[in-house]
Amino acid sequence: MNRTSVKIVIAGGFGTGKTTLVSSVSEITPLTTEELLTSASVGIDDVTGVESKTHTTVALDFGRITISPDVVLYLFGTPGQDRFWFMWDELAEGAVGAIVLVDTRRLDTSFPAVDYFERRGIPFVAAVNQFFGECEYTDDEIRSAMELGAEVPLVWLDARDRASSKLALIALVRHAMSRLPQAA
Amino acid sequence: MTGEAWDGDDETAAGRFVPLYVLVNGRTSPRDTNLDLATQVIAVPVDSSRLEPEYLQILGRCGGWISIAEIGAYLHIPLTIVKVMVDVLLEQGYLDSGAPAQHKVVDMRLLNAVLAGLERL
Ligand SMILES: Nc1nc2c(ncn2[C@@H]2O[C@H](COP(=O)(O)OP(=O)(O)OP(=O)(O)O)[C@@H](O)[C@H]2O)c(=O)[nH]1
Ligand SMILES: [Mg+2]
Repeated sequence: MNRTSVKIVIAGGFGTGKTTLVSSVSEITPLTTEELLTSASVGIDDVTGVESKTHTTVALDFGRITISPDVVLYLFGTPGQDRFWFMWDELAEGAVGAIVLVDTRRLDTSFPAVDYFERRGIPFVAAVNQFFGECEYTDDEIRSAMELGAEVPLVWLDARDRASSKLALIALVRHAMSRLPQAA
Repeated sequence: MTGEAWDGDDETAAGRFVPLYVLVNGRTSPRDTNLDLATQVIAVPVDSSRLEPEYLQILGRCGGWISIAEIGAYLHIPLTIVKVMVDVLLEQGYLDSGAPAQHKVVDMRLLNAVLAGLERL
């Protein structure tokens, strides 16, 4: 096989745990790369309700997982702010799919990500990040609040935990497989 | 820039942009549109002694397969610029590239391999 790169996008609103998830499964310490900003990329950060957040990711963090001697999986965390949509296009193009992280304290911050992948028909799973262990919502409540389609898998995870993050990645890959024409 | 909202008038970013832009001879986008930030490249064993230091620096990172995003991260070069520079090196035969992630039809065999790899983690 030719040397092949596979991409998975880790999306979700500001401070939902994207970088944490990438760190927990990556075989390298996540790297940060930057992209030049354009005049179209101006916006204001939304920091409401994020108490313990000390800084904002303005660049792109990513990690890697060697799958086989020929295949490397790259996990790209999307920038947390909406002004970086131009980078989402580059990340999403050719990707297996996306994990959209959801913080139940601020469900709305992940709406744009759900909307983004839904509109483009890119496979994604919604992953509720259990910041404080317990969550008062049921799957159905989250599904309806997020307006998730019935076919979109909903998983619960702790982004700090490697095994838990790995299961979310597996759920995404299975979902992407189920959507390939051959699987029908 | 970390921790601050960008106000659209960032002197530092603009100042850094100019020399890098000149470096790539006025090219703003790669010739090969298949180049993705996850595309991996590797150095071809040829004489590179005539290359400019900025290009040599990139080649120096490509002893084994490495993605464009990783090169950008290690050398602190913005992605747009790395892409053009890598493309120049590909065009001139200093680098080889693997299958681009972009435009690739993800097939069942590849996804099966990814699944098996993740399950082994
Ligand atoms: N308790 C708990 N804290 C978490 C969890 N995941 C992330 N955090 C914390 O939440 C904060 C935000 O996490 P990040 O991974 O930086 O979030 P992000 O989505 O990358 O943030 P931006 O890139 O700025 O949008 C950090 O302080 C993390 O330590 C979790 O599962 N449980
Ligand atoms: Mg982050």
